[in-house]
Amino acid sequence: MTALDSVVREASLIVTCGPGGVGKTSTAAALALAAADAGRKVIVVTVDPARRLADTLGIDNSAGGDPVEVAGATKRRKGSLWAQMLDAESTFDRLIVDRAGDAQRAKAILANPIYRSIAGSLAGAQEYMAIERLHQLSTSGEWDLIIIDTPPSRHAIDLLGAPDRLVTFFSHPVYRVLTVPGRSLARITNAGANTFLWAIRRLAGAQVVEDTVEFFRSLSSMEAGLRQRAAETSKILRSDGTAFVLVSSPRAEAIDEAVHLKTALHAGGFPLAATVINLVHPTPSPLTGSKLKGLAAGPLADQLALHADLSMLAVDEAREMDTLRTLAGEVPVIEVPLLDDVQDLAGLAALGRLLC
Amino acid sequence: MLTVVGKGGVGTSTAAASLALLAARGGADVLLVSVDGKPGLGPLLGGEPLTGDEQLLRLIDGSGGRVRGRTITPKQAFGDYLELKGFGSLLRRAASAASFDVIAGSTPGMEHLLVLGKIKELDRAKAADLIIVDAPPAGHAAPFLRSATALRAAVAGGPVRDQANEVCAMLEDHSRSQCVLVTLPEETPVNEAIELAADLRDDIGLALAPLVVNACWADSPGARMSAAAAAKQQGVTLPVAARRALDEAVAFVRVRLDAQAEQFARLDAELPLPRVHLPRLPVARLFPQHLDVLADALAVEPMVPEGAGS
Repeated sequence: MTALDSVVREASLIVTCGPGGVGKTSTAAALALAAADAGRKVIVVTVDPARRLADTLGIDNSAGGDPVEVAGATKRRKGSLWAQMLDAESTFDRLIVDRAGDAQRAKAILANPIYRSIAGSLAGAQEYMAIERLHQLSTSGEWDLIIIDTPPSRHAIDLLGAPDRLVTFFSHPVYRVLTVPGRSLARITNAGANTFLWAIRRLAGAQVVEDTVEFFRSLSSMEAGLRQRAAETSKILRSDGTAFVLVSSPRAEAIDEAVHLKTALHAGGFPLAATVINLVHPTPSPLTGSKLKGLAAGPLADQLALHADLSMLAVDEAREMDTLRTLAGEVPVIEVPLLDDVQDLAGLAALGRLLC
Repeated sequence: MLTVVGKGGVGTSTAAASLALLAARGGADVLLVSVDGKPGLGPLLGGEPLTGDEQLLRLIDGSGGRVRGRTITPKQAFGDYLELKGFGSLLRRAASAASFDVIAGSTPGMEHLLVLGKIKELDRAKAADLIIVDAPPAGHAAPFLRSATALRAAVAGGPVRDQANEVCAMLEDHSRSQCVLVTLPEETPVNEAIELAADLRDDIGLALAPLVVNACWADSPGARMSAAAAAKQQGVTLPVAARRALDEAVAFVRVRLDAQAEQFARLDAELPLPRVHLPRLPVARLFPQHLDVLADALAVEPMVPEGAGS
């Protein structure tokens, strides 16, 4: 039993974060499966799952972002596992339709070219949507446990900072000026904003300015709600029922990123429950008592080289992991060996047993 | 210009640095650019961590080639752009009226376009024989490269459209600009490489250079037999414990080799680009001497699967 065993039984929110390519989504799904097996109703929300993992969870681009129950995940009568894909564009559209007030306004926003490019690609859109989704899930009272799988690394910090940034953004003087009622830019008299708009107009062209102003203006009807939910979400992320799980691999790039993230989590007051290091290579049994130095080339020499490489790699990985372990202090570090394939339910269950 | 792209964790930065080294060995003056501000590329080539100021990372004796490096973040590119357009004194005032985030963030795709625009300026000024760009990872490589085409379509006129047009002209000129896709010989990275290739080539119209498959396991006759058989072939007797230790290591590697062969076959069928295999080095952290090994591997003539274009 590890620290994560009690986390999956007791926490109401788990957030996994870490660099790309270390099995973060698999880890989130494995924890979700373990919690469902412990009799809880669990939803795992993921941003960009690998294709086969998405298939296993029954979510893909065509699912439209609704929660899907994962068939055959658990035999427990009480527990169930659900999965949901966070698709920024479609959820943003839905948010606009739900909150814009009237259909005509919603239509105007959806047709705005600035909105169209924001919804899909603007850095931050996905993060804001994650806040909305998290808020919606956690206030619905429907779930025993919500697991959020964040986008890789640097973007995870963006995501966690998004509630606070959103509040700052809506308080920004330029935003306030941009959203004053009235259609004409001539009505904007604030000198700072004038300079700002003049600069953008020269940099980006007049049409971009008009579209941008129009877009922010149409957003203003939703501002109070967004702002309130952002503040509430910020509180949820730091509450007692929340557990952050940092996921890494023993490779140097991943370790460096994880160290960076660990520091950022601490600085942001986000509660870290455990660090998971996936994809750890095995240490082969030592080659003792054999005197094989100077062996000529051949299959046995191949095997000795291969054994030496794996041994060297294991030592090197152990040294990298020590960096993270030292930094982790009291927080438990769980090592998970390189598994053959963690993309189906059996694989996720096996990973879950190593984690919990 | 070579843009090195791949999903997170596949080693795009390593590949970008090795390519830079290879080109410099051939006598080229190379500028290596990191666009997400990752400083680690500098030490990998034996220099200081990268900053917004250009620095010399490696000078190749004999060939006259060199590798210089710098980061280009949207913020730096924005400052340069303002200066280029004669906005020097305005920058301060604009910055006091609105943070950079509000300006660039309120024009979507603008951050990427600013960076690409800066690279285009460097290219136009002939700042180097070859510019190698370590592109942003994960799902961000395609939006990065698509920003110019997207803004060209979205903006009817003005400086942004001009900028977008010029960047598109650079990216779509296949004699000036190519993309190097990096992947690992594993199922998920290969899936993602196939998808990314379709996005870049068919959707955005970019030219793809040979594919780089990073961290490949080396096959050998020894990896295909038991320790007992190998010892017998070489006329050596091994204690039981040694045989067991070798069998364990061989079994582990053989599973990887089989999985890798499967992925090579999929690449042959589904992504028929010429490709280069980089060896898997038995270390967790790479140092400059490792890059020399990888540059050697990149120098090998790419293997061409059947059905691959020239």
